[in-house]
This record gives sequence, structure tokens and C-alpha cells, in this order.
Amino acid sequence: MALQEICGLSDAPYMKSRTHFLKSTEEEMKNSTSNIENCYSLSAPPFENPMQNLNAIQQHGEKSGIKIDFDHGTTTLGFKYQGGVLLAVDSRATGGQFIGSQSMKKIVEINDYMLGTLAGGAADCVYWDRVLTQECRLHELRNKERISVAAASKIMANIAHEFKGMGLSMGMMLAGYDKRGPGLYYVDNDAQRTPGNVFSVGSGSIYAFGVLDSGYRWDLTDEEAQELGRRAIYHATFRDAYSGGIVRVYQVTKDGWINISNTDCMELHYKYAEEKK
Amino acid sequence: MQGYNDGMSRPFWSNGPSPGQFYNFTGGDRSASQGFGPQNNFGAQRSSQPITTGTSVVGIKFDGGVMIAADALVSYGSVARFQDVKRVFKVNDQAILGTGGDFADFQSIQRSINDKMIDDICHDDTISLKPKSLYNWLTRILNNRRNKFEPLWLDMVVGGIENGEPFLGHVDLRGRSYEDDIIATGFGKHLALPIIREQIVEGRPFTQEEATNLIKKSMEVLFYRDCRALSRYYVAVCTAAGANVSEVQKVNQNWEVATVVRGYS
Amino acid sequence: MFQQMNIQQNFPEYNIPGKQHHDFSPYESNGGSIVAIAGKGYAIIAADTRLSSGYSIHTRKQKKTFKLTDTTVLGSTGCWCDTLSLTSLLAYRMQSYVHTHQKTMSTNAIAQLISVMMYNKRFFPYYVSNVLAGLDEEGNGVVYSYDPIGHCEKTTYRAGGTAGALLQPVLDNQIGYKNQNLAEKPEITKEKAISIATDTFISASERDIYTGDSVVICIITKDGIEEKTVQLRKD
Repeated sequence: MALQEICGLSDAPYMKSRTHFLKSTEEEMKNSTSNIENCYSLSAPPFENPMQNLNAIQQHGEKSGIKIDFDHGTTTLGFKYQGGVLLAVDSRATGGQFIGSQSMKKIVEINDYMLGTLAGGAADCVYWDRVLTQECRLHELRNKERISVAAASKIMANIAHEFKGMGLSMGMMLAGYDKRGPGLYYVDNDAQRTPGNVFSVGSGSIYAFGVLDSGYRWDLTDEEAQELGRRAIYHATFRDAYSGGIVRVYQVTKDGWINISNTDCMELHYKYAEEKK
Repeated sequence: MQGYNDGMSRPFWSNGPSPGQFYNFTGGDRSASQGFGPQNNFGAQRSSQPITTGTSVVGIKFDGGVMIAADALVSYGSVARFQDVKRVFKVNDQAILGTGGDFADFQSIQRSINDKMIDDICHDDTISLKPKSLYNWLTRILNNRRNKFEPLWLDMVVGGIENGEPFLGHVDLRGRSYEDDIIATGFGKHLALPIIREQIVEGRPFTQEEATNLIKKSMEVLFYRDCRALSRYYVAVCTAAGANVSEVQKVNQNWEVATVVRGYS
Repeated sequence: MFQQMNIQQNFPEYNIPGKQHHDFSPYESNGGSIVAIAGKGYAIIAADTRLSSGYSIHTRKQKKTFKLTDTTVLGSTGCWCDTLSLTSLLAYRMQSYVHTHQKTMSTNAIAQLISVMMYNKRFFPYYVSNVLAGLDEEGNGVVYSYDPIGHCEKTTYRAGGTAGALLQPVLDNQIGYKNQNLAEKPEITKEKAISIATDTFISASERDIYTGDSVVICIITKDGIEEKTVQLRKD
């Protein structure tokens, strides 16, 4: 072994030919598309602790007119009742103060029997839901039966755990119907995973909970359940600035999911105002 | 150097977290309490700053070619340290290069460019680096380094002849690049560009003579107003006939006006 | 004791009189705006040509639209070095798609590819505002818009870039007929879309310092991509 190798000198830039520039650029090119081959392999940032430092970069940038605002989604709710699982969500996506979209799809159709809701970072949720969809399909192909909601939510929680502390922002519910009956799980970016009967996630969730808790019973009829979900989201859009747009209601039964309604919350506002008279 | 028994809690393992703290993703034992922010480069492990620097570079396209000029000074902070440095280069017969910013960073890249040129000569197939390839290559190299938070602190102007057409482009330390008919970096952006732009005749490129005079005028203004500039400069010219770097040029100095300026005594 | 040697302790920060203190910020806002409108049988995408940072304008003729295929055009503004990295990487991936599948990518496949590529840099994002316009398999216009980390949404019209927040409400009104309570909402024709896009840019250059000089409008139809340039304010 040459002395330069023992000293680590051969690794120094000046000991390499010009290819060290090219190699590093090529490596970067490979790294920055690595998740096309393997969706779990994202580029590592050139700094430590991305949760704090990405924020620091964002804040530093604000001074010079650089606004790296990610789209955020907000109010979602889901509950189990005698007829299955009901999900209701709004459709507003905000990037900072700006309403990026009023028509975002916050319910992701994972397969015919399972839905995911998204709150928090829109890109985080959509990307990892897409990965989950792939994992669920692979599970089906490997095992010749549909994945359970419990297993699917565990995959999601494992992903969240893998990236814990890196600053992902996700608060999602997985709703579906499997051998055990209706399933509803909450999974978030801290890798917390909880089954439950009633959940609401996002900045408008407190408002939604108020309506939801006061009207929730196990033996709600389908119509009552749909109306409860819709009304709860409507009230969240009314009070929470980060929620709004269209109120989407989905229901999961043993025959799979169905889209019940997509109503503009302005329309709902006048409808409910009319009822009060 | 700290000993083992200094009474302070030591990390669990080398580069690991102190008790009660989380392990940092990319390693290192900086605790969050040290604070993060622009002052320590967002937790990046390295940082760099320009030390020996060159100031403005000015480039102009003209009818049938391009020319790039830069003064002969490389400063060390406010010291006019190296006073006869060529900051414009002939890369080959079809490409020229001007550089501002950290001169050491430039020299490290220059070695690579020279290697590329030697490769071209060794192949002996009359194919050599074209200005657009050089421009694109520099963009990628500089961007790659900024992605590592280890920028090469450079402001470069690339010129040349490609497919018979003059080419002029600018690349900065982030790998931000663009092409234009006239390019200036640093102070030149504020002082030289307006002077040159004034003389543009719509629908006709500059002649070589006009370009030479504009460069002369620009370097003169820069010398008067940029306190990191020098009265001597070099011009690299590239036309279909080939490329060359001029002898040292001198700015027309006139200090008689100094007596007219009021407000000092 | 040798093991305890800490590089930082023994080799202090290179602190010499010549050192100039500069904060290195990896990002820079280079400005620019994009407007894209999709309709039956066409899609248009327009972007201005001013490249600036802070108060200085680098160039007045930087095209910010990237022709990806005969039916797809990407508009990208923000940190120009990120735009360059992203688009050249995209060109490379699209080329390898052609060699693998022996066909060019469809607009929606490109839309997804961009989303995945942008998410790859989740922890050190591309600071770009992307809008993708093109024709779908039926030959109708589609627009996809992105946030910096690849959240993608399919729409029919979208404004992005520094004047995005200024122009989107105009499009909402003129194209989306938002809150107009009209009995009939006529479809936007190609000509109307072009004139709305031009007008929005004329307005944007009045009120946004990062938008101006000229606007390049790409008109995508099944017959190919037509390009038009309209001059804007140069101040």
C-alpha cells in the first residue's frame, strides 16, 4: 500500500485527476433520481438535522424574497359506525398565506376497499400514499388476498418511523374493509399508529370534533352519518382559515368504497342558513 | 484538549448523542443547543468564503466573435495583492474564459480544464471542447458544489465560436447560467452594462472595433469607481480565425479632474 | 490523548485578514412568472423572459419554457440553477424512457415523473415553481402545477412564479368564471386563452418587478407547438 493511501492522501481532491469533478456530478445525478428505482431512497441533504435546518433556510430566505412554501392540507375526519366507515374532507391546499388550490383531492383511493386521507404536507402524504398503494398491490399479488387495514397502516407507520425526525409532515387516516370488518387507523409523521372509532386530523379538526362528537352514535343510519360528516367539515371550513373549498364525503362498506358527495362549502353554507330560519 | 474526567457528560459513543439527546441524521455531535441559522451555514459541516478575489469581468459579442475582458488584479481582502494576473484565458481556438471571484477556486477548476484540453490534443482527432460544452460543464460542476454547500466561489464568463456563431454565457457560484449578447459580473453589472447597452444599435451587432472601444471605456469607468479594480487589463478575443489574449492594456487615466472635485479640504 | 484530537480544536476556522465574510445561501430568487391554460384541443403556456436577482436584471431574454415533447411544455421559474438542474435531469430521464419503451412519454407520465423527481430532493428542495402544460391522450389540454417538493395537481388553468399570487385570481375570474353566477359558462377558445394570457402578463409587468421584458407563449395543439413573443415593459 502506498503511503498516500495510508495517509488518506489519495482521497484528497488534488490527488485526483479531473474525473473527481465528473464523478461527483455523475454520482449526484444518480442520487437525485434514485427514488425512481427505489422509492424509499431519497437524496440526503448536505446538512444535518433537516427538520431544523430546512426551516432555518426557509426563514433565512424570507428576508431575500425566497419563499419555499410547501402545500399544506387541513381538515379531515373519519368514523366507524354500524354501516362501515365514513370519511369527510375539505379540499383547500395552502402554501403559506396563499391558497394554492381549492380543489385538492385529500382522499386517496388506495384500492377498491381502502382509502387514505391526507393532512399536513401535501407532497409528503401523496408521495407516501402512492408508495403504500404499490406495497398494498404487491401484498395482494404475493398473498392472493387483499391487505388488511391493520397491515397497511403498519407499512405506513414503518415508513414514517424510517424518516422520523427528518421533518416529514403527515397526519393520515386509513379506512377500509377487510376480514375483520371495517377498519380505521390514524398514522402520523411521528410514526404513531392508533386504531379507533372517531378521528379528525388537521388544523380545522377541533371545529370538526365539536360537531362530530355531539352527533356521533354507533347506530347512525347511512344518511345521518353522511350528513354528520359533511356538517362537521362544513363547520371546520367556516371557522378555520386553512380549510375550505369542496366538502367530499366517502363511505367504505363491505362492498368497497363509494364517493357519496362533493359539495362546495359555499353551497352548504346557504343550505344550512336556510334550515336555521 | 479535553480529558475524560472534566466533569462534563461525554457522548455515549464517538460522534454520538449526549444522554437524553437524539442522534443527528447526518452524524456529528453538534447539539441543538448550539443553535442553527445562517451564521453556521444551516448545520452544513463545511463552509467556504472567498479569500483571494478578482473583481468584474466584461464580455461582449460582436460581429463574428466575442471578447472578454478583466483587469489584472487579484485582491486579498482590501490588499491589492497580485497585480499582474491574467483572469482571461484562451481555452482553445474556439473558446475563451474570464473569471471573477475566488482565484484559488478558479485555479482548481483550471487544472481540470487543462486536463480536458490535453485529452483533446492526445486524441488528435481535430475535435476540441466547444464553448457551449464548456459552459454546460462549468454549470454542472458549480451546481454540484453548491449542492454540497461547498461552493466554488466563482463568477465566470464563457465565450467562443460555435457552429460559426458567437457564443457568450455567464455561470455563477450556484450554477446559475444564462446566455446573452453582453455580460458583466460583479461591479461591472452596475457600471459597465449600462454603458455598453447605450451603444446598442437595434438590428445590428457591434463591430469588433466598437466592442474594443466599449471594453476600454468600461474598464476605465470600473477603474475609477471600483476600488478593487486596477488600471491594467487583459482582453481575450475569439473569432473564426482563432482565439488570443491581448497584451496588457492600460486604462486612460486622467487625474486632473481631482483638483476640481470639492469637499475634501 | 491523540484519539481525543479534534480537528476543529486544532485547526481553527481559517481566519485571516483577507477573508471576506459572506453568508452562503444556496438559494436565490431569480423571478419570472408562468401562466398556463388548457382547453378543448389546445393548451397554452406562457412565461416571461426576465432573469433577475434582487434589484438587478441579469438578462432580458431568458426563455423559461422547456419543450419536452411535441405535446408537452414545462414552464419553470424560481431559483434558476435549480430549474437548470431539474430540466436537464428530466431530459436525461425522458431520453432513457424513449430508449426503454420505444415511445415518447405522455403528458401525464411526465407529470408524475416530475413529481417523483422533485420529491427526491425533499430534504433540500428545488426552489422552483413548475407548471406543465400539454395534451392528454385524447388530444385535449391539461395543466399540472407543482409545489417545491413535488405535490402535483391537475387543473385547467394555473399561474405560477413571482406574480403567481397576483395572476391566479384573474384567471379564476376570467377562465374559471368563479363567483360570476352565470347561467352559461362558455368554453374558452384558443384565441381567447392567448389573449387572456397576454393580458395577464401585461398586468403582471406593471406590478411585479420580477416580471417583464417579453413573454413567450407556447401554443400546443395536435399540429405541434407554435411560439409567439409579445414585448412587455422593460423597466
